[in-house]
Formats: sequence, structure tokens, C-alpha cells
Amino acid sequence: MSDPDRGGFFIGWSNKLPDRLGLFLVQAAAVLVAGLAGAAFAIGVTQNDPGDGAFRFDLGRQTITGVLQAEPYPVLHVTESERYPAGHAIMLSGQGKRGVQDRAAPLDGQLVVASGVILTRGPLDMLQVRGGDQGLIAAEAAPDANAVPPGVPVPVPLGRWRLTGEICDGKCYAGAMRPGQGLSHRACANLCLTGGVPPVFVATDTVDGQAFFLIAGPDGGPVTDRILDHTAMLVEVEGQIERRGDLLVFRIDPATLEVL
Amino acid sequence: MSVLYTPVQWNRNKFLYDGVLLAGVVAYILVFLQVAPLFVDATRPVDGAILRMRAFGTCAFLMLTLILCIGPLARLDRRFLPLLYNRRHFGVLTCVVAATHALQVLGWYYAFSPTPRLEALLSANTSFGQVLGFPFEVFGIFALLVLTLMAVTSHDFWLSFLTAPVWKALHLLVYPAYAAVVAHMALGYLQDAKNPAFALLAGGGALTVAGLHLAARRRDRAARGAADWVTVGRPAEIADGRARIVSLGGDERVAVFRYDGRLSAVSNACAHQNGPLGEGRIVDGCITCPWHGFQYRPADGCSPAPFTERIPTYRLKLDGDTVLVHRTANPPGTPVEPLAIP
Repeated sequence: MSDPDRGGFFIGWSNKLPDRLGLFLVQAAAVLVAGLAGAAFAIGVTQNDPGDGAFRFDLGRQTITGVLQAEPYPVLHVTESERYPAGHAIMLSGQGKRGVQDRAAPLDGQLVVASGVILTRGPLDMLQVRGGDQGLIAAEAAPDANAVPPGVPVPVPLGRWRLTGEICDGKCYAGAMRPGQGLSHRACANLCLTGGVPPVFVATDTVDGQAFFLIAGPDGGPVTDRILDHTAMLVEVEGQIERRGDLLVFRIDPATLEVL
Repeated sequence: MSVLYTPVQWNRNKFLYDGVLLAGVVAYILVFLQVAPLFVDATRPVDGAILRMRAFGTCAFLMLTLILCIGPLARLDRRFLPLLYNRRHFGVLTCVVAATHALQVLGWYYAFSPTPRLEALLSANTSFGQVLGFPFEVFGIFALLVLTLMAVTSHDFWLSFLTAPVWKALHLLVYPAYAAVVAHMALGYLQDAKNPAFALLAGGGALTVAGLHLAARRRDRAARGAADWVTVGRPAEIADGRARIVSLGGDERVAVFRYDGRLSAVSNACAHQNGPLGEGRIVDGCITCPWHGFQYRPADGCSPAPFTERIPTYRLKLDGDTVLVHRTANPPGTPVEPLAIP
């Protein structure tokens, strides 16, 4: 078809652009590109600080000796380590979104040697236990046959508390993902928790100087299945808090969970 | 317009259109991923995968917002009509950007788990009974499915194969999809963001889409009569080579064209994509659609050979110096003697 003088009327298949539209369309194109770039900057520069959690690959593989407590979730109470003081509690997870309950249960209460990569966020430490048989093994017997083997710390009750905060999976919160909390991360958190990663409660206030707690059920056992509807958002919950070494355990009553 | 179903009928305008689009998307992604992080005062950087899912997700939302603004903008100001010409490429690119966002999410939040990714996507969060914590991913899945369906059926082959009413109804799903995207963000990322920048952009975008559609609808609203013959106006009120659009009630509109001292009336909806023919012109003696340049003879509503598109025609008569149009449409392609202007 021919391409007559159209008085500024645009026809797409015609390769001629009406003069009066040319400048307008150039301006529109410039506004589009500049506007998208400006929007990207405005959104990109105003993202939340994801915190200081991270995998500490820079420290290399850590080998830590301690007493293993399998319930509610595997925790290592350090007895010997180049990096951590005796008595420090380190939560344990497996590779990816997996826990180590199946490997920890037979060793509950025993002195073990755990090795893997550390994740750290503030006072929270988690060891991603390496795969295979050597990641979590019973320690060799002490040379002194009369020595008293160390045991798990005796729980020290700190009373009943009602706390506000967020239920997170301990691994992503510790730095496996940045950010590893919030509603965007909720499905990931639930996958981690159902895979066996220990859940932690990140409170808006402190108890005995700490703002994060390992979560347990009212009986001190695992509670994963009862918290999945309340992860990754601000909630209020009641429960007993007890200290086990330098780790605070929040034995929550799931019936008191309330979304804020 | 074409009688051949070639994949894309490239021309200079389409190259320019797509070039500007690509430049905008590349600028957005580069600034988000490479420039903005340099200005962020964070303890440690956001994970690369999470940064990418945010970049592509927000980009797709803004692109969809722009796409939905083009239609009403073109009705309010004709200078925007060229933006409508290649809008389907805009839609396909938006689908690609949204799919990239989804792949980033699947490859990060749903990876590294004993549960397969797609199974995890549907099972990790099942709190359907609550607002906060609602599995907002389902809104994103719905929107992506709609965008994909639209992209796949965007070619004229599907328009012909499905018929225009079915095709149009299918592509109107873009509005529920947009609402789903807004819900996807409102129940997800926006709940976490402490800075209101994106909330303002997202809210402003959604309000702009709604406001422009309302403004265009108000402008289009015309007086509706119940008689068989509906008043068009005096012939002198219609510019030569142009049309007056008359509402017949409901969504039915007729375009009355003046050309060569005569008047002819056809449906206002182009057979191609329901483009507003009455906003077009007479070019080469044919009504020419402002959206994609499809053409029809005014006297019978048929496209000139070798094209085969047809649209309904209407009867006209004069009552004194007032032109009237009969509200009953003739079957598409029915010849009607043009009304001579006295």
C-alpha cells in the first residue's frame, strides 16, 4: 500500500514517521529508558540491610569437639576448639535445607567431634556439618580412664515470658541467605524447618542479654510442625525460657502464637 | 496486516520500538544489579540471587504497568498511538522478564531441599486461611501463567484460529493478572521493605493504571438513546477523512466516516485486535486502523484484496441536516450505499 501524506497519522507498517510525532516519540523513548533506570536506582538503593550473617568459608573447615544434645534440635556444647571457648553452644545443620537429626540421635549426650563450615550472625553460630561419615563422629575415649566425661549443661530456668519477634530457620538467619528472614523468605524458611534445620526466635527485646533463642516445644522436644503457619512474620508467643550453656532455649506454647 | 502468518513482519518502526524497549530493560537491570549496590550502606550485600529476583520482579511489574497505561493514554492523547503499535512485543518481553524472576526464585528459595522444587513451590507454605503469611506465590504463578498464555497466543495466527472474541477475552485476563501481581507484591516483598520507595512506586503505578482507565472511559461515554435511529450530528461536524464515534449502548460503537463528500458507517472495532477504527483515518480511500494499520473499504467494511478481514456496516440517513445511524448492524462485509452529503 502506498504511503500518502497522512497529516500526522501514524501507520505502523509505513516506514515513514509523521514529522510532528518524531520529536514526541524520541522524548517518550528517552523518558522510558531514563525512567526505568531511575526507578531501578530508587528501588535498588533503598533495600533493607540484610544483616551480618554469612557462611565463614574464609575460616576454612572447623573441627570442634563437644557434647551433643540431640533434642529439641541438634546442638553442640563445645569442650574443645581452636576458635570457640568451652561451654559455647553451636547449632548443627546438614547440607542445604537439611538437618542432622538422624546422625545426631545415636550420639545424644555423647562427646563428639563435628566438622564443617561455620555460619555466624552476631552471637548465633551454626555449623553446617559436612556430609559423609566423618562429619559427626563419637570422640575417642579420654586417655585418663578415671576422668569424668563431660555432660550436657544443666538447664537453668529463666521464667515464663511473652515475647514479640519472628520465627526463622536458624541456618538462613545465620547467613545461609541474605536476607534470611521476612515474608519473602517464608517458603524457604518452611522448607528449611521441615528439612530439619533448627528454628530460632528472633525477639524484638532481650532476655538475659540475648535476643535470639532456639525454639522448642512445651515439653522441650521438637515443635516444627506446629509453627509453620507463623514463620517469617512478627508474632507474639508465650513460653518458658531456660539457659543451656550460653544458649537460651524458648520452650514455646504454640497455642499462644498470635500474628501481630 | 497480512495474509501470510510470518513469525514477525519486521519493519523499521518495530525495530525502533523493540530497540527502545530492550534499552529500557537493560538499563533497569544493570542499574539495579551493578550501580545501586554501590550506594547501599549495608553490613553485607544482599545475595546475588535475591538481588536478581528483586530486579527482574520489580522490572516486570513496572513493564506491565506501562503496558496497561498505553491503551488509555492513546485514547486520551493520540500522540501515544505509536506506543500501541508493537505492544505485543512489549508483552512478550515482560513475560520473559517475569519468567526470569520466577526462575531465580525457584533456583534459590526452592533449591537445596529434599523436596523437588515445583512440589516445594506448592507445598512449602499452605497458610491459605490468613492474610499475613498467605502464600503470595500463587498470585505470581497465576500472573505468569496468564502472561505466558498471552505471549504464546500473541501471533495473528491465534487471533484467527481462536476468533477475535475468544482471543480478546483471553487477553483481557491481563487485568486479573495485574491485580494478582499487585497482591503478590503487597503480601510478599512489600511486607518486608522498611523503606517506602518501592511501595510508593508500586502504589503509584497501580493507581495510575486505574486512573487512566477511568479517565478514558469517562471521555468515551456518550449519550445513549433507545430509538432505532441514533443521532450522529451534522455532516459538517465531521472532518474530511475522519470519523465521529457514536455509542449505540453497551459496548457497541459505530464509526461514521466522511470522505469524498459522502458518509459511511462501520463498526468501531477493528477485526484484527478490536482497535478503535473511528480514531483512524481514510488513507488510500480505506479506513485505516490507528493501532496496526489494518484497512477496510468504508462502503462494505471489507479489506482490499488480497486481505480478507471484514467488519459490520451500518445504514445512515439524513433527517434535515442531521445524520442518523441505525442501531442494527449489518453482517460483516455487507455493502451499504454511502450517504451523499447535500
